[in-house]
Amino acid sequence: MKESPIIHCHDLIIIGGGLAGLRAAYEAVYGGINVAVISKVHPLRSHSVAAQGGINASLGNADTTAHDSWETHAFDTVKGSDYLADQDAVAIMCRNAPAAVIELEHMGTVFSRDEAGRIAQRPFGGAGYPRTCYAADRTGHNLLHTLYEQVTAKGVMFYEEYFVTSLVSEGGSCAGCTALCIPDGTIAGFSAKATLLATGGFGRIYERSTNALINTGEGLHLAMEVSVPLKDMEFVQFHPTSLYGTNILITEGARGEGAVLLNKNGERFMKNYAPGSMELAPRDVVARAIETEIQEGRGFPGGYVHLDLTSLGETLINERLPGIRQISLDFIGIDPVDTPVPVQPAQHYSMGGVDVDVSGRTRLPGLYAAGECACVSVHGANRLGGNSLLDTLVFGKIAANSIIDDLMKLDSPACSVIVKAVESERDRIDNLFHQGPGENMYKIRDALKKTMMNRFGVYRDGLSMETGLTEILALGDRCRQAGVPLRQAHYNLPLVHYLEISGMTRIAETVARCAIARNESRGSHARKDFPLRDDDHFLHHSLAVPDRDGTIKVLTSPVNLGMFPVKERAY
Amino acid sequence: MKFRVFRYNPGDTGPHYDLFEVEEIPGMTALAALISIQEQQDPGLSFRSSCRGAVCGTCAMLINKVPRLACRTQVNSLAGMKDQIHLSPYPALEVTIPWDHDTEILIEPLPHLPVVKDLVVDMTAFFDFLHTVNPVFHPGVPVPEKEYQMERLAVKDLETYTNCVLCGACFGACPVNSRNPEYPGPAALATLYRFHIDPRERDHGSRISTADTKSGWWACEFHTNCTRVCPKGVPPSIAIGRARNELKQKGNNQVIPDPGHDTPRRGQGN
Repeated sequence: MKESPIIHCHDLIIIGGGLAGLRAAYEAVYGGINVAVISKVHPLRSHSVAAQGGINASLGNADTTAHDSWETHAFDTVKGSDYLADQDAVAIMCRNAPAAVIELEHMGTVFSRDEAGRIAQRPFGGAGYPRTCYAADRTGHNLLHTLYEQVTAKGVMFYEEYFVTSLVSEGGSCAGCTALCIPDGTIAGFSAKATLLATGGFGRIYERSTNALINTGEGLHLAMEVSVPLKDMEFVQFHPTSLYGTNILITEGARGEGAVLLNKNGERFMKNYAPGSMELAPRDVVARAIETEIQEGRGFPGGYVHLDLTSLGETLINERLPGIRQISLDFIGIDPVDTPVPVQPAQHYSMGGVDVDVSGRTRLPGLYAAGECACVSVHGANRLGGNSLLDTLVFGKIAANSIIDDLMKLDSPACSVIVKAVESERDRIDNLFHQGPGENMYKIRDALKKTMMNRFGVYRDGLSMETGLTEILALGDRCRQAGVPLRQAHYNLPLVHYLEISGMTRIAETVARCAIARNESRGSHARKDFPLRDDDHFLHHSLAVPDRDGTIKVLTSPVNLGMFPVKERAY
Repeated sequence: MKFRVFRYNPGDTGPHYDLFEVEEIPGMTALAALISIQEQQDPGLSFRSSCRGAVCGTCAMLINKVPRLACRTQVNSLAGMKDQIHLSPYPALEVTIPWDHDTEILIEPLPHLPVVKDLVVDMTAFFDFLHTVNPVFHPGVPVPEKEYQMERLAVKDLETYTNCVLCGACFGACPVNSRNPEYPGPAALATLYRFHIDPRERDHGSRISTADTKSGWWACEFHTNCTRVCPKGVPPSIAIGRARNELKQKGNNQVIPDPGHDTPRRGQGN
């Protein structure tokens, strides 16, 4: 007979311990809520820690003659999104930005300072003012450590190294989740009135990605499995400057501080693509420029261009970009003080995600989402640098407040429901062991990454994407047949990886279906067969709606306009 | 390139070592080698990883008898002990197994913490020690409407310590942590010092008293292994030295304990 499962009961469980999750936990614990954070890693190992360049807020510290304002920030964000962001959501984010930054400063974050002792602000792509607050080039690290300090001091409960395997949906609402305890291999149940997804992005479905190895998009897959739609999945951001080879991020802050991009002829090629903004055009524009240079033979052999920081000088690099210098030295043996850094575009951010409204609510009562795993949408078809950290703080807080408001209305789930879910997950995982060992799952994963990179990358076209979708579906079938190669209770990495990879094939399918349905070019979605934006037919969000039988339909939903008229986007 | 890797599974009578051969590709890191072993040779091999870019602090382990981040360690820098960091000795550094350091890279779990499985250690004690120094900012009053004004120089001093990623390499490298179960260790003390010198702090300049005990600041023996292994250039030994000087100036005369008085403690696996 099997042991009866352990069920943990909380009012709110937050899945994911990055910035969105911890900001929500902070709000909830101050609201007197019984809250716990579940994460497959220690919270400080979350990918938020890797964010480098900064966080946008119209503090106006770098104002000269003109004054920055939240409205200008909102305009830059909407234009950057290629007019696909919901303007009401953007207004909320930008209005709350200064307070969100000051709040973290008051919690202890050590932001870099200007001469006057105020928070320093640097120029970033697509922004009309130097608006990006930063802590050298370790902004995410500093913010995450600060929030971790705050929430642990308040006694928030953490379940570390628990991999959530399913959400429990019962009677039309979310009742909690089941999770694999990685260190000992048991399945635990979590009963909660409210569940917040804050699991980050899915960058690792791509061959080249700046993302941490853990960014496999579980939250999106969990939502799909309880028939919650994903929104705008075709919009995948490629960061222009990832280190050639390892694709570790080289911050946009480098260009903000004056670094330039050069092709193999030593030509500053951005003048041909964005003469007004040059290297500080938005990321989609710069990534396409680099990709074009490489495709047309003006890149270096292997496929990269140069990011030249040599004019910045050692003092400035040490003060404002020390992490970049260290990464270049550690991972490619180059000192950017005297040698240009080889860079190439790599997947960086998922604009799409779990469909939520401006309050963080999904369509399933009791289920919420915030941060990169969610799509509000504030980033539309292309996110501006410095807006993702802001998104996590603002909407992490808002989601927690929505939950505080809703808790009175939400019922405590019946324990039997969670017990039943744990038992069914135990059986499912048992079957995976019985199935194996089949094909090496890592081959399937690598094939998926190649398909995504080659067919759903910086440039796309209809025929290639159709082939890509067929490949993704076949890989999904192969994954289902592969099973898990070894039964091992303690720290079974193949089991965790199998659960990740099977989710990745499903997420990839939503990217493919949304991308195929959008016969236009907008923001990060650049179709060679439809090179222009088509507002008459495609000024709408894509919704990937999973059916109970696993099929995915692509529907649409309207974009909230109102503040800024839709215009041509030029830089 | 050959890798001799520490293995332990709960229920085993004791740890053992397995030898793997991995084809070396230019730029290969120790983490990349472990991933390749796990994916292609032995799916059961367990280790932690996350960012693979030396910013998250997940993959600290003992590589060629030096605590390092596996993701930051280039395999070609290890061959024949080329880039060896010399450390003040402690038990985990003793070579107790056959190991040809000219041809093999030795990979073991971070010392001074219990092994969960293979290269995965239980970090609970490390984080518990961190929490003994109350690592949370206490805002100085009055709290300004906007940000606290801060000198750039003060920011620079603070960054020296806020750069800590809490990977535990220093803890695993500290001879005092190998035998003094009361000693919070270099990372916890460096974190305490970070709050102590924060000019915005309510308790600015007085927080070092938290660790003004025989097993706190005064337990350090200045082996400086911590500073030598830190992957982020954080110097805990400097923080400890400064804290002790400050306390001495305030008239505190704690006696520094002699090394070796406490009962030796084996860190690894058993």
